[in-house]
Amino acid sequence: MNTQTQPVVDLNEDQRDCYQELTNVAMGQAADRLARLLDAYVVLPIPKVNLIEANDLRMAIQEVEDESAMSAVCQGFIGSGIAGEALLLFNDTSFHDLSTLMNYPGELDRFAEMELLMDVSSLLIGACIQGIGEQLEIHFNQGHPVILGQHCKVEDLLKPGNHQWTKTLAIEIHYTLEHVNIDCDLLLLFTEDSVIKLNDKINYLLD
Amino acid sequence: MSDANIELGDIHWLMDILQNIDVGLVVLDRQYDIQLWNGFMESHSGLSPQVARGENLFSLFPEIPQDWFTKKAEPVFELKTRTFTIWEQRPYLFRFKNYRPITGRASVMYQNTSIIPLQSIDRQVNHICLIVYDVTDIAVSRADAETALQSLTERNRTDLLTGLLNRPYWLQEATREYARCQRSVHPSTLVLFEIDDFRQINVLHGHPAGDHLLKTLADGLLQTLRRTDQVCRYDGETFAALLVDTDEEEAGVFAQRIHELSSVVNQSGLPAGVSCTLSLGIARFQQDFSDSAAWIQAAETALMQARQEGGNRICIHQP
Amino acid sequence: MATNILICDDSSFARKQMARAIPPEWDVEVHFAADGIEGLEAIRAGKGEVVFLDLTMPNLDGYGVLETIRRDDLPAMVIVVSGDIQPDAQERVKALGAMAFIKKPIDADKARAILSEYGIMAGG
Repeated sequence: MNTQTQPVVDLNEDQRDCYQELTNVAMGQAADRLARLLDAYVVLPIPKVNLIEANDLRMAIQEVEDESAMSAVCQGFIGSGIAGEALLLFNDTSFHDLSTLMNYPGELDRFAEMELLMDVSSLLIGACIQGIGEQLEIHFNQGHPVILGQHCKVEDLLKPGNHQWTKTLAIEIHYTLEHVNIDCDLLLLFTEDSVIKLNDKINYLLD
Repeated sequence: MSDANIELGDIHWLMDILQNIDVGLVVLDRQYDIQLWNGFMESHSGLSPQVARGENLFSLFPEIPQDWFTKKAEPVFELKTRTFTIWEQRPYLFRFKNYRPITGRASVMYQNTSIIPLQSIDRQVNHICLIVYDVTDIAVSRADAETALQSLTERNRTDLLTGLLNRPYWLQEATREYARCQRSVHPSTLVLFEIDDFRQINVLHGHPAGDHLLKTLADGLLQTLRRTDQVCRYDGETFAALLVDTDEEEAGVFAQRIHELSSVVNQSGLPAGVSCTLSLGIARFQQDFSDSAAWIQAAETALMQARQEGGNRICIHQP
Repeated sequence: MATNILICDDSSFARKQMARAIPPEWDVEVHFAADGIEGLEAIRAGKGEVVFLDLTMPNLDGYGVLETIRRDDLPAMVIVVSGDIQPDAQERVKALGAMAFIKKPIDADKARAILSEYGIMAGG
């Protein structure tokens, strides 16, 4: 692989550990908000922090079953020259319990599901991004969310190829709720050049 | 944020920017009363800041559904989080007319909005800021792309001469139906039919006469089909119909109707000397068909039998 | 005599941050553990009179450690240090015998206030 013109994206064990801990704290804040919104207990997993290759984007979503129908929202963020995108993947079977917890009246059609998707993604993505930002003293601005698809398979949502990067930092959080059938995956992906800057910030914390 | 760097004189031009920026800015207090209303909002609503200020958002703009909006805005107050609405959810929050007679092709302005918390010095959120973006261009071009895609899809599945489905698309449907029938208790039926001695018509009266006949028959067919019937031009003068949830008896009624179409076609201004009769073959789904091709083959066999018995008749595949 | 305190967290970064938040005037000997199983071993070896315990850890999580301490009646005062700040999580660990809860990211001043509020520092 030709990496000579690309900045070398690398991650040592201390840095990985640090990202994991920062994420752990941020997702705890996000979970707290979700728990308050839904009046339920969010089960917190250990977040996965990895460098992934563009071809392996699909593999990054390990928890997701191949055959289940998914809906997804994407949202860009940027601050202090560090940019990335957050992807929230929802298992479609989650919508039923979600609409009950959120007290959504009426029939659960495509539009109602879009509302739920937007509400939950605003909350989870926003809290996670801001949580990580606060710890690193970065103010992240968020772009508008984009619905990537409803009722799709993962392979249709994450099309391979044509990515502008070869290897980058990915953080994956698999949220589940206790006693109800709701699960979703939050994937944070940073741009390649952001990782260099992020690593600098992290090194400062590690000193 | 480095507020300390802003001097009093700077406030003046900051206000200028606020007034002239091409996005809508609205500040709301805890009661959803309007506290700030910028130039964009004034221009599009026709309401000046003096009029809007202090008014309740929902009484001033009854088109905003209060329940829906507060569901998005309350978490901003309570959890200090940002929320967003996009035009796919709801085309607009404020009903602003499209203001571009030449390039604007939508009647209203499509809007994305961000709702962000504004913290006071005591870190409480007593105000929120609503930012309104005009995304009409994006919405319109998306609609254009979807229309184009739809017409392309339609074109891809249509036989150009007759307007019926084309063979590749129909074969896909037949394969899908075969798979469904294997699990279903309501089997479906295929009908293949052709115009008798069509080659003769082409030879004696020329291809335009043949085409005219095919077209006239197809028009008649399109008028007699049920919504669920899938009919294609299968090959030259042969047509195929996929009748979902239809048994042999009902398929027989369908076949009879088609058979009678020939007399209608004959009275519809065909060239002198040209007349048309039809042969039909019917095959109901059987569990022992190994694939959809075997099912189609069964209908072809029945059609061949009708042809061999002299044409102008209906034959049913006997399993 | 110095108090034996144990910092039990799977993240080395988090262990360092916790160690930094311990008031310098407190006479302590600090021990570390990287998961619940190591943590229980250290407690059994007398290295955990006061335990700063994370909740989300591999092998055995913080809830498991609290349950074992209670079941086996191990001599440890546990302060949970976690990013899981849901009200439910705080109630659950208190019900399992944790004395106090410190939210991540750790604020050294708040940590000091909690330690003296519960008399943990003085009682060492």
